[in-house]
Amino acid sequence: MIAIEHLTKRIGETTLVDDVSMVVDTGTITVVVGTSGAGKSTLLRMINRLITPTSGRVLIDGQDTMDIPEDRLRHRIGYVIQGNGLFPHRTVAGNIATVPRLLGWDQKRIRRRVEELLDLFQLDPAEFANKFPRHLSGGQQQRVGVARALAAEPRLLLMDEPFGALDPIIRGKAQADLIAIQRRFGTTIVLVTHDMEEAFHLGDRIAVMNDAQLLQYDTPAQLLTRPAAGFVERLVGSSDRPFRLLSLAKVRDAMEPGDAPGEPIDPDVNLRDALSRLIWAGADRLPVAHGNDTATAHISVSGILSHGRPPQ
Amino acid sequence: MPDTTRSRASSVRPSLDRLGALVTLCVVLALWLAPFVSVRANRIVAGQPLTAIEALPVSAAAALWAVVLIVAAVALLVRSPWIRLITSVGGLLSLSVTVGFAASVLTPAGDSFARVSPASGFWFLTLGMALLAADSVTRLNFTPGLRLAALALAALALWLVIASGAWDDLSLMKEYASRSDSFGGAVRQHLVLALGSLAGAVITGVPLGILCHRLPALRALILPALNVIQTIPSIALFGILMVPLGFLAATVPLAYAMGVRGIGTAPAVIALFLYSLLPIVANTAVGLAQVSPSVVDAARGMGMSRWQRLFAIEIPLALPVVLAGIRIVLVQNLGLAAVAALIGGGGLGTFIFQGIGQTAIDLVLLGALPIVLMAFVAAIVLDAMVDLAGGARA
Repeated sequence: MIAIEHLTKRIGETTLVDDVSMVVDTGTITVVVGTSGAGKSTLLRMINRLITPTSGRVLIDGQDTMDIPEDRLRHRIGYVIQGNGLFPHRTVAGNIATVPRLLGWDQKRIRRRVEELLDLFQLDPAEFANKFPRHLSGGQQQRVGVARALAAEPRLLLMDEPFGALDPIIRGKAQADLIAIQRRFGTTIVLVTHDMEEAFHLGDRIAVMNDAQLLQYDTPAQLLTRPAAGFVERLVGSSDRPFRLLSLAKVRDAMEPGDAPGEPIDPDVNLRDALSRLIWAGADRLPVAHGNDTATAHISVSGILSHGRPPQ
Repeated sequence: MPDTTRSRASSVRPSLDRLGALVTLCVVLALWLAPFVSVRANRIVAGQPLTAIEALPVSAAAALWAVVLIVAAVALLVRSPWIRLITSVGGLLSLSVTVGFAASVLTPAGDSFARVSPASGFWFLTLGMALLAADSVTRLNFTPGLRLAALALAALALWLVIASGAWDDLSLMKEYASRSDSFGGAVRQHLVLALGSLAGAVITGVPLGILCHRLPALRALILPALNVIQTIPSIALFGILMVPLGFLAATVPLAYAMGVRGIGTAPAVIALFLYSLLPIVANTAVGLAQVSPSVVDAARGMGMSRWQRLFAIEIPLALPVVLAGIRIVLVQNLGLAAVAALIGGGGLGTFIFQGIGQTAIDLVLLGALPIVLMAFVAAIVLDAMVDLAGGARA
């Protein structure tokens, strides 16, 4: 658990982060979203002390980060930045091995860990371990950047616009990979982005910042249905709000008992995709089932639509 | 209108290789019209110029003409860089053997005063063929290792020509023969001056460059100061240093014991050291500044200490630029060290200034040619090192 308490950063007359307090639960993805210059990166960089707060403090599992030597603190926290910052003079394996080497792991353990991570990110170790970053595509470089941050098995991962430089298709894949890895290792992730779509897609909780202040810190559903008046409302209150809401809920949340004719839908599909299927099939209802199981439930258009508006 | 027709005409015509045409013109005219060697009764009188046909026996002259025509034809008509390289290197080798042969033929038996030296025609032939060779090497785009191997081969070829005695009757080698006891020492002293000052400049300049990178205020102070030093003419700087160093030697026994004198090696090394500082400090600072900020940020974020970042990330990434600075300094110092002879610093400059004093151009060349050769080798070796250092991520 990370507790951010009254964190403030001032430089001269300008306040970059103004009295921000929030709690990030262990094993969740928290997305800090806002326009550029809102102070989100500054907030993130105060967690691993790349920036020293003017006042306030950050507690990681109850321990004040100021009590930990800064290099030791950063060895324990993964850090991914936009444009990945890979070391151009080191191979992929050398880049990933950076923190394990700083921690003095033995060669065998480092090699094993590097291969494990490359496999995890679908980069064949035989092909990629000895390549230099300039020989990789943008998506591959980004994956190596995340693998490098995860090398020493950090419990906390900080990501500053990690997918900002990727084209939309590769970005979608990178986001899916991140969610899969987070589920697998239970890593706590704090991610900064200016992309609202990305925030709703990735965030267990979303922190909206503007003008150095934290305006609202809530679950995506709460943010959509009960946005704080003013900036947050304008930010989330666009015409596609119902569709965003639908994409947050799963078929299992809206299914009704009884079978229906047609191609079955998996209960883990989100409601937005389920609605697309119904519209495309020209059906009012479709059966719900895992793979080839027999369906005992169905989903209907009206059932889906009722999830696209705030609960009364 | 005339312009458009002309440009169309030239694009239709098979494009002529400009360098090849230049080389062809250069070698043919040089052999035909310019003197190949010049013959003098002794080392200081004016010489009598002879063309290749006048200087050489018929068979040798014909052979040289054949070689030059082949080189000219290849330069003009053949595009393959390998063939051009092999032809031009072969041309250079036959040229070097022929000029030595001409000297043997023209020197009267038992006459130790007569001097036969290469004349303008020989130099133009050499220039033309060397140009063709250099151009071919550039086009072949050798890897740094291959370039070093080619350099070693060229050095071996030069050594073989000299060791075989093919040049023994040339004026330059006669001059060398009469100085052979002091020549090796002069080369050594020249290298001590150039490399010693370089070593000092690297040891102090690189840390100074790192400081300049870290502290912009210091940079604003140091770089202009070093710039001013760079503008002082070398003779003036040598002169300026004589006074304080002479005083130091006279008053501080330790300094005297360490070899510090108002004239000699000490002021020469110190002056060269001062000239060397600017390129080293400036290139170190620039090299560090061009390291991508996101790379430095990532290194910090992963918990690398200031020193770890400096040695593992920043210096390796700045290395090609630092090496380029070292290359500038080394080539510059090899040339400037010649001036050290004026203040008793020794080195190859001694021959140059003695030669000027005696109006003996061969003696000047005996000092100057090895300097040119050393600077050439230094440039090639350091260029290869720059490429090797940057090769991993170019």
